[in-house]
Amino acid sequence: MINSTLVLFLLLFAAAIPVAAVLGLLGLALGGLYSFMPIHRAIGEIAWGAGTDFILFAVPLYILMGELLLRSGVADRMYEAMRHWLSWLPGGLMHSNIGACAMFAATSGSSVATAATIGTVSLPQQRRHGYNERLFLGTIAAGGTLGILIPPSINAILYGYLADVSVPKLYLASFIPGFSLAALFMLTTWIACLVRPEWGGARMRSSWAERLASLRHVLPPLGIFILVIGSIYSGLATPTESAALGVLASAALVVWNGRLSWRVMRESFEGTMRTTAMVQLIVLGAFFLNFVFSSIGLTRTVVEFIRALGWPPYWMLFAIIVFYVILGCFMDAMAMMITTVPIVVPIVVALGFDPVWFGVLMIVLCETGMVTPPFGINLFVVQSVRGHGSLDDVIIGVSPFIITLFVMLGLLVAFPELAMWLPRQLR
Amino acid sequence: MLDQALRAAGAIARAGVWASGALFFAAAVVIAVDVTARKAFALSIGGSDELSGYCLAMGAAWSYAFALLHRANIRVDALYKYFPRPAKAALDVVALVALACFVAVVGYYAFEVLAASVRFGSRANTPLQTPLWIPQAIWLAGLAFFLLALFLVTLKALLLFAEKDYAALDRLAGLPSASEEVEEELAGVKTRMAKAP
Repeated sequence: MINSTLVLFLLLFAAAIPVAAVLGLLGLALGGLYSFMPIHRAIGEIAWGAGTDFILFAVPLYILMGELLLRSGVADRMYEAMRHWLSWLPGGLMHSNIGACAMFAATSGSSVATAATIGTVSLPQQRRHGYNERLFLGTIAAGGTLGILIPPSINAILYGYLADVSVPKLYLASFIPGFSLAALFMLTTWIACLVRPEWGGARMRSSWAERLASLRHVLPPLGIFILVIGSIYSGLATPTESAALGVLASAALVVWNGRLSWRVMRESFEGTMRTTAMVQLIVLGAFFLNFVFSSIGLTRTVVEFIRALGWPPYWMLFAIIVFYVILGCFMDAMAMMITTVPIVVPIVVALGFDPVWFGVLMIVLCETGMVTPPFGINLFVVQSVRGHGSLDDVIIGVSPFIITLFVMLGLLVAFPELAMWLPRQLR
Repeated sequence: MLDQALRAAGAIARAGVWASGALFFAAAVVIAVDVTARKAFALSIGGSDELSGYCLAMGAAWSYAFALLHRANIRVDALYKYFPRPAKAALDVVALVALACFVAVVGYYAFEVLAASVRFGSRANTPLQTPLWIPQAIWLAGLAFFLLALFLVTLKALLLFAEKDYAALDRLAGLPSASEEVEEELAGVKTRMAKAP
């Protein structure tokens, strides 16, 4: 059963069938082959059930929030503030890139939106100040991935939904790893510029007066972060409700900055619905497949198979991490997560690991998938904003940060407390 | 004839997406009001979670066709990109047929869900007691429109394949190259840049 599933799965993927259809058709085929009951009939109810789930409504709301923020003009001013605070470091504006990404990530649930927004603001600065172009591009591509780790996060919502884990807990757990990863990215930049000082470009000095004056530009994103995340932990709102508050606050910022137009709304809606449709179709396929897997006992068989291997849990975990790193090179990170979580999380839990902790690890693996060639969505985003030269420049520039991501994975495995300490404090 | 139908489907898909986006925005407003009223006046309007669930199902269903026409569905190109052009074109057609099969099955059983709701006069098990056939009918109509759009695109793709017009087939149903895909994502950034002072 495991073998035929795997063969069918790989065959459908190799033929470049849309991921949603791969999952759905695989579910139908397995149901037909291994079930005595016509379980395919449940697909209508599953489509309606998964389609109307209030938790999943957070996903389009986060996307809409990002689309609106992207057009609200807050990013330029926020970047300016980060420049005043961070560009005295060796590596100058490259630290502002990462800082601005971390800050934008705290208002956005998407890595693509983060890299695109900060890239648009910062790339014009690169040539003016003589930075090493490749490393500069790398800071944006890598910094952008923070979008899904620092809450709010679309990936956390989907993981929570598929693995049946509390989203507020996941958010708390990704808090410290998120900001630590931002710090590690800065450290990487710093080390690179110590080794090769000529990469570092011009360092800039800002006066304390300028710094303090720039703080007011940090207020709008900070306000949205406090509203969206704070409303969850004050017990005021569920994650979906807090996302709705975030949408309204972002819309208010668009109006406040005088950017409101029919065109802005139309484009925000189109962007939101295109992504929502794509995600919902995959979620439907994955949910149905998951239902078939447990109906025909495949989930249990796989877990037992893994147990029977008798590998030490950490070896198994290592194998899973390697599997995701490789898969992430070829597959869209979000699709990779939705497709695999229903089967991998039961294995991980059977091995004795915490599903919340694994969720954080999973999201860092998704981040890695976003910057590893040949298929890394953030590489494409940064290259497209740049608009000239070769994609190889971005790939080379981001490579030191891929090592940083591996270090982060290692830290999470070695010190699970990094993720688990905060959720325990606020229980 | 077929081209006209495709253009019409594109226009309907776009209208569907705008309507769905506006619906989601409206749902966000209702949820926010609900949350605020609950906290500030200890007054619960209630039902916003249930209604936005319906919005999600209806909005997504009415956006599938738009995602299809904009080639937003994710496909794994690890092997695909190494194939010669005719093989890629054949795979594009196969991908459409596979998606159509899956959606047809979903659509068929979704119809049964609606039929059951109508037959039993099912109402949601909530204070609102929403008659389920209303959101389900809109949802099913969206799925049906998606299936129709899939049918039209597949037909067009088959014709282009028969004519060996691989370039046009690629634009219709191929895997968008990385840059094309990102162009779609970045449409907003470009506008924003144009407007920035």
